Amino acid sequence: TLRLIYTTTAVQRRNAGASGPEKYTEAFIKKQIEEFNLGKRHLANMMGEDPETFTQEDIDKAIAYLFPSGLFDKQARPMMKHPTEIFPEQRKIQWGEDGRPLHFLFYTGKQSYYSLMHETYGKLLKVQKYQDQLTAQDLLPQKQKRNLAGSRWLTKIELEEMLLEKLSDNDYVRFIQLLEKLMMMPCGDIEEKYIQKFSKEVPVQLQKVVVEPLKYDERGVAFSTGEGTRKTAKAIAVVYDNGTGKMTVNGIDILHYFTVLQDREQLLFPFQFLGRIGKHDTVCTVSGGGRSAQAGAIRLAIAKALRSFVAEKEVEFMRQAGLLTVDPRVKERKKPGQEGARRKFTWKKR
Amino acid sequence: MAAPSTAGLARRLRAWLPRLTQVRWSRYNPSYLEPEVNKESYQRPLEELSEEEKEKWELRALRPIKAAPSSVSSSVFSDPTISKFTNMMMKGGNKVLARSLMAQTLEAIKRKQLEKYHKAPEDEKETIECNPYVIFHQALKNCQPIIGLCSITKGGKTYQVPIPLNDSRKRFLAMKWFITECRENKHRRTMMPEKLSQELLQAFNNEGPIIKKKHVLHKMAEANRAYAHFRWW
Repeated sequence: TLRLIYTTTAVQRRNAGASGPEKYTEAFIKKQIEEFNLGKRHLANMMGEDPETFTQEDIDKAIAYLFPSGLFDKQARPMMKHPTEIFPEQRKIQWGEDGRPLHFLFYTGKQSYYSLMHETYGKLLKVQKYQDQLTAQDLLPQKQKRNLAGSRWLTKIELEEMLLEKLSDNDYVRFIQLLEKLMMMPCGDIEEKYIQKFSKEVPVQLQKVVVEPLKYDERGVAFSTGEGTRKTAKAIAVVYDNGTGKMTVNGIDILHYFTVLQDREQLLFPFQFLGRIGKHDTVCTVSGGGRSAQAGAIRLAIAKALRSFVAEKEVEFMRQAGLLTVDPRVKERKKPGQEGARRKFTWKKR
Repeated sequence: MAAPSTAGLARRLRAWLPRLTQVRWSRYNPSYLEPEVNKESYQRPLEELSEEEKEKWELRALRPIKAAPSSVSSSVFSDPTISKFTNMMMKGGNKVLARSLMAQTLEAIKRKQLEKYHKAPEDEKETIECNPYVIFHQALKNCQPIIGLCSITKGGKTYQVPIPLNDSRKRFLAMKWFITECRENKHRRTMMPEKLSQELLQAFNNEGPIIKKKHVLHKMAEANRAYAHFRWW
C-alpha cells in the first residue's frame, strides 16, 4: 500500500522530483482529480453558485467561509486546490519491465540534465554549420542587438522544476554559459524558440509611479507632500514653492535638530542634485529610528515630494541616482549560538 | 575576462550567476544596480555617448537601482577617497569624530599652505598648491607601492614573494600606512589632525616616513626577486 504524502509546493521545491522512485501512482492522481472535480461541484451547489462556472478563487473564498481558521501560516489553513498543485510532478519509472532503462543516458545519473546539454550543444553545432555555409557565400547577417535587459534566464530552482532533477551550481552555470554562447552567435536567431523556453520576461521595473499633481494652499503657494522610511524612522515632508531654502523638522530648525554635517548634507542632497537649493521651503515631521535613519527617511520624503515639481526626465535621473529607492537594509537579527548577528563566541580550544 | 565586446550585457548577467557558497548576502535583489550620483554624467546629451555607454544607459533604464548610501552625496564636497579614508580612521563606529578629524586635517593643511603662500616671494607663489583635496590625492598617490610581498609556504619554509598589486590594494595600503603611522609615531600631546596634515604635506613632497616605508618595501621586493617564480597566479 502506498503512503499518502501531502506536501506544499513551497516545501517540495527543494526535492522536486529527485526524491527517489515515485510515491504515488498515476491512477492515484487520476482518482484525486476526479474527487476534486466532484467536490468542486458539491461545493458550488452548497454555496448556491453555478457548478460550471466555479473558479479556483470562488473555491478559496468558499473554503475560507466554511472552515474559518485563525492560524497565521497561510499554508496551514484548510485549502482545496487542484491535485497537480498539491502533488508536485514526479519522474515516472525510468526503466521498463525487463529492468533495462528507457533513456540512453540513464547511467549518467542526471539523465535529463545531460540530455538537455546534449540537445543544446547539437543546436550550437547546427548553428555553426549554418553560419559556415553563409560565410562561404558571404551572406553573413549582422548581429542585431538584442534587448538583453528585458529578459533573464531561468533560475536554478526553476530549471530543477522543469527537469525534475537535482542540479548542482556548477551544472547550472555550465548550462547558462552554453545558452549564452548560443545566443551570442550571429545566426542564433534560428534557435530563437528553443532559447525562449529557458528565458523569462522581466516585468519592466519602472512600474510607472503616478506623480501626484501640485496642490495649492491658502496663500496660493504650490506645495507637495512626500513620505519616506529608513530602518525604523518614518518621515513626512511638505515642500513649498517660492521659498528661501528654510527647513524645519518637528518644529525645530535643521541646524539645531541635526547637529552633524553629514545629516544636513543628506537633507540637501535632492535639492543639490536638481539645482534647486534656495528655491523651496520644507516642513518635515519625523519619528522613530536614530540620527542617521531620520535623515535618510527625510531625504526620501523630500525626493518623493520633489517629483511633482520636476520634469519626467529629471525624475528618471533622481531614480538612477538612488534618491527614490527605499533602503531595505535593516538591523540583522541575533542568532542563537552566536554573540551577535555575525560575531561568534570566543573560540576556546578546551 | 577575455569576453568579446558584444557580450557586455552578457558579462554583467553572468556576474550575477550563483556561486557555490553564499556567505555575503545583501538585502537587495541581485538585479539591483549601483546608483550614479555624479550630476555631470546626467547632463551629457545622448549622441555623445559611445556604444558601451548607450548599452549601459539602456540597462539602467530598465533595472531597479539601489538607494544611495548616507555617506554619499552629489555635492562637490563629497569625495569617495576622502570617505574611504574617514571610514578607515573611524573607531567603534564613531563616524562623527572621524569626520571632524578629517575636516580639521584638511583645514590644517590649508592653513599651513596659506602661511607658506603668504611668506613666499612672488615668482614661487604659483608653485605652492593650496587646495587640500589636491594635496591629499597627490600624497596618497605618491605613497602607493607598485609591488607588494606575499608569504608563500613551499617545502616547509615561508618565503616573501614579490607580487603585483591591484589598484584597490595599493590605495588601501597607502591609507593604512598613513593611519598607523599617525597613530603610533607621534608625541603623546600632538593631535591627530596636526600629525596627519604634517605627514600628508611631507608625502606630497615625496619625503617623510611613509615614503620611506614604501621604498623599503620596494627594496625588499627587489631583494627577493629570486623567489618571484613561486607565484602561480
